[in-house]
Amino acid sequence: MNHPRQTPSWARDPEVYEYETQDSYAHPAGYVAQQDPTSAYRPEYQTYPPYYAEYDPYAQPQQAVDVPHQAEFGSQQAQFVPQQAPFASQQAPLASRQAQAGVQQTVYGPPDTASGPRGAALGPTEAAPRASAHRQPEAPPAAPKAEPEPSYTLPEVPESAWSVDTRRSKLLGRGVLVCILMVQAGLSLRLRGTAFQDEALYIAAGHYELDNLVNGTKTPVDFAAYFSGHPKLYPVLAALVDTQFGLTGVRVMSLLFMLAATGLLYSLTRRLFNLRAGLGAAALFSVLQSTMVLGNFATYDAAAIFLLALSAYAVVRTDRMKSAAVLLAAPPAALAFAVKYASGLYLPTLVLLAVITAHRHRGVGALGRGVVLGGGIGALLGAGYFLAGPVGGISSTTTDRARGTDTAATMLQHSAEWGGLVFLAALFGTIGYTLRGRMGEMPWIAGITPGRWRRAALGVLLTGTALLAPAYQIHLQTEISLYKHVGFGLFFAAPMAGLGMARLVGPHFRHPQLGIMLYVLTLVFGMVQAQRAYSFPDSAPMIAFMRDVVDKKGRYLAEEQEVPGYYLRDVTRWEQWQNSYVLDYRGKSGPDAFRQAVRDGYFDAIVMHGRVSPDTFAAVKQGLKGNTHYRLAAVLPFTTSGGDSAYRIWVKR
Amino acid sequence: MSHLPSRSRWSAAGSLRNAAAVLLAGALLAGCGTFSEEGRDQYNRSQGKSAEPSTGPSESAAEKPEPPYDVRPLLKPKKKYFGVAAEGAPAKMTAVEDFAKKAGKKPNVVEFYSAWGDQYETRLVQNSWDYGALSYIAWEPFTKSLKRIASGKEDAYIREYARSVKELNLPVAISFAHEMNGFWYPWGTKKATAADFVKAYRHIHDVFTQEGATQVIWVWSPNVVNPMPNVKLKPFWPGEEYVDWVGVIGYYARGGAATYATLYEPTMRQVRAFTKKPFLIAETAAEAGERKPSDIKDLFQGTAARDDVIGFVWFNFDKESDWRITSGPATLRTFKEQAAGARFGFDVTKP
Repeated sequence: MNHPRQTPSWARDPEVYEYETQDSYAHPAGYVAQQDPTSAYRPEYQTYPPYYAEYDPYAQPQQAVDVPHQAEFGSQQAQFVPQQAPFASQQAPLASRQAQAGVQQTVYGPPDTASGPRGAALGPTEAAPRASAHRQPEAPPAAPKAEPEPSYTLPEVPESAWSVDTRRSKLLGRGVLVCILMVQAGLSLRLRGTAFQDEALYIAAGHYELDNLVNGTKTPVDFAAYFSGHPKLYPVLAALVDTQFGLTGVRVMSLLFMLAATGLLYSLTRRLFNLRAGLGAAALFSVLQSTMVLGNFATYDAAAIFLLALSAYAVVRTDRMKSAAVLLAAPPAALAFAVKYASGLYLPTLVLLAVITAHRHRGVGALGRGVVLGGGIGALLGAGYFLAGPVGGISSTTTDRARGTDTAATMLQHSAEWGGLVFLAALFGTIGYTLRGRMGEMPWIAGITPGRWRRAALGVLLTGTALLAPAYQIHLQTEISLYKHVGFGLFFAAPMAGLGMARLVGPHFRHPQLGIMLYVLTLVFGMVQAQRAYSFPDSAPMIAFMRDVVDKKGRYLAEEQEVPGYYLRDVTRWEQWQNSYVLDYRGKSGPDAFRQAVRDGYFDAIVMHGRVSPDTFAAVKQGLKGNTHYRLAAVLPFTTSGGDSAYRIWVKR
Repeated sequence: MSHLPSRSRWSAAGSLRNAAAVLLAGALLAGCGTFSEEGRDQYNRSQGKSAEPSTGPSESAAEKPEPPYDVRPLLKPKKKYFGVAAEGAPAKMTAVEDFAKKAGKKPNVVEFYSAWGDQYETRLVQNSWDYGALSYIAWEPFTKSLKRIASGKEDAYIREYARSVKELNLPVAISFAHEMNGFWYPWGTKKATAADFVKAYRHIHDVFTQEGATQVIWVWSPNVVNPMPNVKLKPFWPGEEYVDWVGVIGYYARGGAATYATLYEPTMRQVRAFTKKPFLIAETAAEAGERKPSDIKDLFQGTAARDDVIGFVWFNFDKESDWRITSGPATLRTFKEQAAGARFGFDVTKP
């Protein structure tokens, strides 16, 4: 990099001033000096014009003059000089106090003061001697005239932003957010279909669980034994909504969860970085395939994402408070786990996020914040587990799920299709953020800022979280639900992606086309993929036909039996519906059991299409050969993204 | 801001952005499945469009708002079918209406004949249904051999027929290659074997099943065994799952058997050895003559007496002989009396 060897003339212009915030997460001076030798005090920075300074009204004038590196940066031209409030500098008690109190404002002193160096984060103790060895003081600074009160203050420049977020820009940002949310709602609501098997299962189970809670009626099966979330949480809520508003209502509830998640993502990214990054994160997250699908999908997922988002938001929102405040993030995190066990994959991210965003404490102190949050979540989960009793579903669905046969390559390819763009953007954001924490409309002031390790850690944590679900499912060798689960990780990567998008666009919206391109590409991928993912058999004609077939006594074999079990719950009981996976019949199991049961006319009706259980379908067809019990009563075609198929309904003659 | 002293910093950032742009473009070009040909097909299908015009057994999503007609209640109704085959019906229902007026009861089955190669006559089936009668089609493979049909060479035609049946979504009884145990038709015992018949019959049934044409009531329709006692029926039996009704054909002819017991029961006994499917007297009439009124009485009473006989279809033609109910005043009077019985006739549209 070339660096100016001359002081530009404009820098001496009394009207010109510039300031720069400190890295609000920066480590104390001594620490940084050791950790980050490439800080702003490299020799090539020597000739920087001293167009800004730090002013401490309480500082002893003499002291300022005495400090060598202050002298070299002292500016006589600066009329308005910002004073940073970095971490405790020994000769700046006010700044020290402000820093302790978490004050993030830049205080401007009167024009005729002597100014301290930019990069005051480097305390005099270590940095000064080092710096002085490389620098030649230009002129002794003028002695500051102490002013007891700053004349005015400038608002905080957000992390990694080019400019202050003014009230106008905040208002504008909210307006854009509303547009983003409207687009998200539209993209979700355009997907249509009858209840998917999982939706039917959870809502129907919710009705039975609700009955169990209210009337003490025994549930037809132990849902807790095989559900991937606690059956008394989301399913009950879904059943309540279903009673009032039907499936559409439950799906709209999911939409509200997802919209709230996007809103929280915006808020936390804005607080973590800045407004533009927040908008970018919300915009990219809102057009992901998983976001669109889950926003119209009556399963735990939307609720779990919302709760994780709430927890992440609480972690970031309490970053400057006492460590104990981070406990606010514990209840939603624990609840997210209880609602959907797979959310547990993201609890470590929340804990690490609590450590990295700890403002008040450094080093071991920051770890304390993570310990507090981890302990809080752990305590809540422990209490919950104690109250809930045995929950077999955790192991059978989540930790010890049956291994599949899906290959890692396929899963990686699909994950890349679903989230690759946002992941790349997050990677770009991480790299950019690590290289350069501060931005400014005037680039020549943007030196290498301290806190690189922390920034890198934050970026890697958030971006890396996107890889958790694919990695875990590759470990399990099953792609089931991966298209939904990638969305969980991408929520965490979205802040970095938003930052990456903001960096792509650059200062002054220099390259809007890049940001637009990224958004539009994500949108197009998302729309197409969502349309494909949100494609399951249209069960309406099947349900209509079966309604005339079933009664309260019959036994019905149905592929995806949850769907008729849910839609026909007014005329049948849950146990009447036999699934197409597991059957023990006359000492036989697997396809043999189904074949024999069909041969014997064990079922009163059979509804199969072979998309979900091809082996059972084949066995049933063999059982139907030469079978006098059944007559093919209906063939109801449907089309999904997987191709044309049909419900085939056989009924007893 | 051209005077900026450290422009190179910008170009560094710029190249970073360019790199990102290249990355994005790369992500697109990397052959993401989303926009591959297969991906496009999947998208189209999920939009409800067919990806490719399929040639195989297509269950294409022709939007059908109503569920397929469930023929089960028609298979073994509580009351008896009272059917007719009449000149010009059901293209024009005047003959049927005339029959109804004369008989004093509306028939609820209208039988007609369809030659191999004819399209499924949706208009006729609809006409008949609108009148309140189930269509019974005798599908006659005059032009193509049973072997050829069984081989699948006629599948295009069969499929088209099946699709029409499905599309119309009205119940229809189809009897393929009736009187197969007789020698007089091209598909009869002189030109084909029982195995050929079974193969062809099953093949047609399978194609209909593939197409999801579940509206068909499958009728296996032998002639009464009396004219050819040596031809056993069992080899012609396609199997339980292929047949809904056993449509026995037998006329009260002047020189032949004159009672239910002699005309139908030998056949029925033979059939009962291998199946319990209900019988329908698929074609019957009495030859004009003195005996005709008693034949009619015998038919009605024999049918009413057997629970496993679900009705009959009267062949109301003047063909070779006058089989009509109007052939004489006594005949007509008897027919009217017998048809008035409450067990005969019901509304097939509300079984």
